[in-house]
Parts: sequence; C-alpha cells; structure tokens
Amino acid sequence: MSQTLTSPEGLSRTRVRIDYDRLLNTIGAWTLALLWAAPLLYAIWTAFHPAAYEANFDLFAPITLENFEKAWAAAPFARYFLNTTLLVTMILIGQFVLCTLAAYAFARFTFPGSNFLFALVLLQLLVMPDILIVENYKMIRTLGLIDTIAAIGLPYMASGFGIFLLRQTFKTIPMELDEAARVEGASPLGVLWRVYVPLAKPTYLAYGLVSVSHHWNNFLWPLIITNSVETRPVTVGLSIFAAIDSGVEWSVINAATLMTSGPLLIAFLLFQRQFVQSFMRAGIK
Amino acid sequence: MKSIFKSVTLAASAAALSLGTLASAQAVELEFYFPVAVGGKAAQTIEELTNTYMEQHPDVEIDAIYAGSYQDTVSKALTAARGGNPPQLSVILSVDMFTLIEEDVIVAFDDIANSAEDKEWLNSFYPAFMENSQTGGKTYGIPFQRSTPVLYWNKEAFAEAGLDPEKAPANWDEMVEFGQKLVKKDENGNVTQWGVRIPSSGFPYWLFQGLTTQNGVILANSDGNQTNFDDPKVVEALQYLVDLSTKHEVMAPGIIEWGSTPKAFFEGNTAMMWTSTGNLTNVRDNAPFDFGVAMLPANERRGAPTGGGNFYIFKDSTDEQKEASVDFVKWITAPKQAAKWSMATGYVAPSPAAWETDEMKAYVADFPQALVAREQLEHAVAELSTYQNQRITRIFNDALHAAITGEQSPEEALKDAQAQADRILADYR
Repeated sequence: MSQTLTSPEGLSRTRVRIDYDRLLNTIGAWTLALLWAAPLLYAIWTAFHPAAYEANFDLFAPITLENFEKAWAAAPFARYFLNTTLLVTMILIGQFVLCTLAAYAFARFTFPGSNFLFALVLLQLLVMPDILIVENYKMIRTLGLIDTIAAIGLPYMASGFGIFLLRQTFKTIPMELDEAARVEGASPLGVLWRVYVPLAKPTYLAYGLVSVSHHWNNFLWPLIITNSVETRPVTVGLSIFAAIDSGVEWSVINAATLMTSGPLLIAFLLFQRQFVQSFMRAGIK
Repeated sequence: MKSIFKSVTLAASAAALSLGTLASAQAVELEFYFPVAVGGKAAQTIEELTNTYMEQHPDVEIDAIYAGSYQDTVSKALTAARGGNPPQLSVILSVDMFTLIEEDVIVAFDDIANSAEDKEWLNSFYPAFMENSQTGGKTYGIPFQRSTPVLYWNKEAFAEAGLDPEKAPANWDEMVEFGQKLVKKDENGNVTQWGVRIPSSGFPYWLFQGLTTQNGVILANSDGNQTNFDDPKVVEALQYLVDLSTKHEVMAPGIIEWGSTPKAFFEGNTAMMWTSTGNLTNVRDNAPFDFGVAMLPANERRGAPTGGGNFYIFKDSTDEQKEASVDFVKWITAPKQAAKWSMATGYVAPSPAAWETDEMKAYVADFPQALVAREQLEHAVAELSTYQNQRITRIFNDALHAAITGEQSPEEALKDAQAQADRILADYR
C-alpha cells in the first residue's frame, strides 16, 4: 500500500477519501446512537419531572422523585425484584450446565444418531416458544409446579441456541489442547472443565447477557404460569401501568420502566467493555 | 404464604371437625382471574371485595389473581383451561364470549342457577349490557367492569369560542359547527387547539361503532356469524369520521393515540374528546378546567357501544365450586358492592338497583357527570363481537386505519373488510 503512495498528490487524495469515509461513519454512528437513545432519554426526562412536563420541554422544570414513589407503591416491587433475580440466576445456571454438557458431546464425541439429535436441537431455534405455551403448561402441571419460580425457568433451560453457540465455540478450540490435556491424564470432564470452559469464556459472557436480558424482560409465560406475588417477576408488576380504559400516565410508567430495567442498564454500562469484547470474540471466531 | 394460609385453614377445619361443629370440613377453593384496565385502585378494590366476601363466607376461599390486561387475561385463562387447570371464574371482555363458547371452556349461568329467584337476578341488569352476555337464549356473562364511550368537553374553551359552555353538540352537524368555532391557530397557521378528538389507535372499531349506531346500523348480528361492514350507512359513518380531519378540519389528521387523548384534553390541545367512562375519575382528578360530560352526538338516532368485561364461569370445576362461583358473582354485582366498584373505578354500575343505593346517590349528587353513562345505556348496543373475534376486529380495524390514513377510500376499505370477514365467518353459518 505505502509503495503506491509515492506522489504527494496521491497521498492527499487518499487522505481526503479516508476523511470523507470517517465523516460518514461518524455521522451514521451518531444518528443511530441518538435514534436508539431517544426513547431512553425521553423516559429519563419524564420520570424525573412532574406529569405536567410530559409533553413540554422546559430546561428549568422542577426535578422530582414523586413518580418513582408512585410507581414503587403501585405493586410489591421489592418482592418482584427478588423473584426476577432468582429467576434469571436459576435459568442462567441451568443453561450453562445443560448447554455446556450438550455442546461438548456434540462437538467432540461421535455417537450413533448424534447428527439427528443435533438437527433436533437446531429445530428448536425455529420454533417460537409462544406456540408451546399450552404444552409447557400441561407439563408443568404434571410436575405439580404451577405457581413456582422454577416453573417459569424450566422450559428455557435446555436452550437450543446456547447448545449451538457453545458447540461452535468448542469446535474452534484446537484438538492439540484437548489431546495434551488427555496425555496429562485428564478425564473427559476434566478436559471440559480445564480446557474448553476457560477458552470459551467470551461466549459464556455474551450468551449470559442475552439470556439474562431476555428473561428479565419475559412477560407472557411468567404471567400465565404464576398466580401469586411470591413468584411473579417485575414485568408483571410493570404491566399494571398499562391501563387502557383510563389515560396513560407517561411519567409514572417511565419511572417504573427505568426502575425495572435499571439494574440491567447499570450492569451493562459497568461491564460494557467486557461485553463488547466478548461479542467481538464470540462472533469473529 | 399461600401454603401457610392453607395449612392454617386445614388445621382450623380439622379442629372444627373434631368438635363436630362443622358439617363440611373442606372449604371450597376458587381461583378468580381479573384484568386491570384502569389506573388507580382497581386491583386493590377487587382484593378488598373478595376479602370481605371471604370474611362473610368462611367456607369459601377465593384466590383473586391479577392476570394483566384483557388480552393477557384471556390468554392466561385459555392456556390454563387447555392445560387442564382452568380458574373457576374470571373477568374477561364481553366480546370474547363467542371465543370462550367455541373453545368450550365456560358454562351458562342458567345451567347452574335456574330457580325463579335466579331468573329474576339475571334480569336485574341493564339490557344494553346483557346483549353482549347472552346468545342462543342463554346467559354466559354477568356484567361487571362495563363502560361506554361519552363525550367530554372543556367548558372554558367553549365560552372562549363564544359557545354556550353548558351545551354539548347534540348531533353530527353541531359537532362540526362547534368544532370549527373551537379550532385555534397560532400566527404560523399551526393548530394549537383542535375541535374534537376521536382516538383511532389500537381498537378504533369501538368508538367508530358509536358513529355507526348513530347512523342507524348494527355491525354484527347477535349470533356472531354475520357482519355488515360494507353497508352504505357504515360507509357514510366512516366518511364522516374521515371528513372531520380532511374536509372540516376540526380534528387532527392521521391516527390519533388513545392513551394520550386525556392528556391532550387536559392541556387544551382539544376542546372535546370521545373516550370511555373509565376515564371519569381520571378527568375529574386532573382536568385543570371545568368540564362537561355528554352523550355522544346523534345522527339518525342516539347511539354508543358498550364495552368492558363480564364474569364468566369455567366448565371444568366441581358442582360445589360452580355454585360457590355463582354465589360470589351474585354478591359482587349486588347493588352495594357494584356501587363501591363503580365509584372506585368509573365503570358503569351494571344494574338499576345499584344506582339507587345511598352511596351512589350521594356520589352522583356531588358528581352528576357520572349519570350520563347510565342515561346513554338506553341507546347503547352490544360491542362488536363475533366468532373468531380477534381476527374479525383486526380486519375491521385495519380497514378503518386504511381509510383514516387515506390509503383507501372508506368504501373500498370496508368492502375488502367485509369480504375477508365473510370468508372467516362462513364456517359458522
């Protein structure tokens, strides 16, 4: 490349072109970022100001926490937060264990019917979970688990997406490392634990983020399978603000939304660098 | 908590058994799903009412379960019923009656309660509400959280525009005429105050049904298998709605949000609005000006749809549970409880007797606007409800949106909608 840029004229032309590219890139990135952030910024603005300023922007509008007080009092959110935290933790642990073992089997062992079984796992990716609600309900009822936190999580633990993602990651890990560990006398599970899992860390992080945010936001299934305050997640608490027969109070809704998505947003901002890197690594490989 | 409560009742009933004072040891347990569609204290009021009932009836234990919006509640109830674990009773939209019958998950009230006294009870509600609750000579729903759309107007804006602040438009022409006087523009020609606001987002068919009823046409038959979407009178009603924005310029063009309509009214963005009586309490608390409530304007006749939810009793329960459910429904829709519910939420008390209670009389004396809904019931008709209700209303809503946004002429849009509805409903004739 540097050899072709002998004349100063060519150099400056290239630079102009690069700047133009970069400019477009920057403008594009900013536009997308602003579009993405606009609802969030609006939510923050309305949540901290009295309802009268929902539709009028006034820089000196009084700041208030009243909306948060109202939202917090509208439903037992403390309990709901606890339930959601338990739920996403349980699902994540279940998914990590099940998906790791299944992915390892599909990636590194040959056994009769393995391709067929893997095709079945992939098939799960094509089926919308909502279609299975009635079947899942029947199964949970047979297990006698209706109205428990476990019931919300169980259908999601054997995740086809997780198995697929981890299998692909495990396949990229050089066989030499595997063999070296075996020569040292590691058992198959030992190899998994000492070689595969540590090397797949970025994938775990990326998948964990997707899983947690998905289940944090899940609404319909938890609503259907649970009945009591002791088991319901925050999204159910949030839904009482969607009162269509009377008017919608945007300031309170936005306060409630910020409150319920707050922990996720904060976690994402704190670990942003790690997340972005894991996505890059998990994706590039 | 629930299990503790259960074991306490168990222990208590065991003790009672040993004393030989109670004939039936096991309390009847009922699961009751309810949706919440108004802000404020609706959920709390329901829980208070069920608790009061349980105190008075120690042999019945009701688990009142919040089930989300109307749509969520019907999903939850149908899933539970298909999964073999239905609730004993639930409040679900009155328009979902045909769906619930088709799924074969509910029983008619007359099948459980058929004494002379029960018949009298079934006849004690406003007929307008019962239109959506009965089919084939049987009563499947008991009206509970029912509403009807009314016209709210800003008296101050009326006075400012030189109109009589105490008089709402009585008919379609007057609404246009008043609207034209009420429209205010700033120096750039932008409208700062519209004449009227008829929201059209989400479920436009409901308010539009006000217009069709006023134009003397019914959208669907009572068997729920025939629609009249392309009737010339329906087309005329839709043309009127479209004209409000395009020809008369008294209403903002395009789709108008349902949820932000009260807000627009409070902020003087519009001088009149059409919306549910479920908004009464909200408007009373938040309107910074004197407001009036009136029946929707008339054309050929007065008219409005009813709306909201009914009590349904589910099939797959013991006879004991069904009887207990009917008893509970009787109690909660009885005048005293119905009045309490109506005052807390703004829903229309479903029986004339409820309006005769002292509490309700005191309430309307203080807040006469609440009476308008009751008076309008005389002119009200059943909300659009058919078999395959969700699909049919979706088709109809899409047609209304196409006409409102100008994609299709009202006539074309409604012809298409009728053809699609015919294809679906042909199986049910």
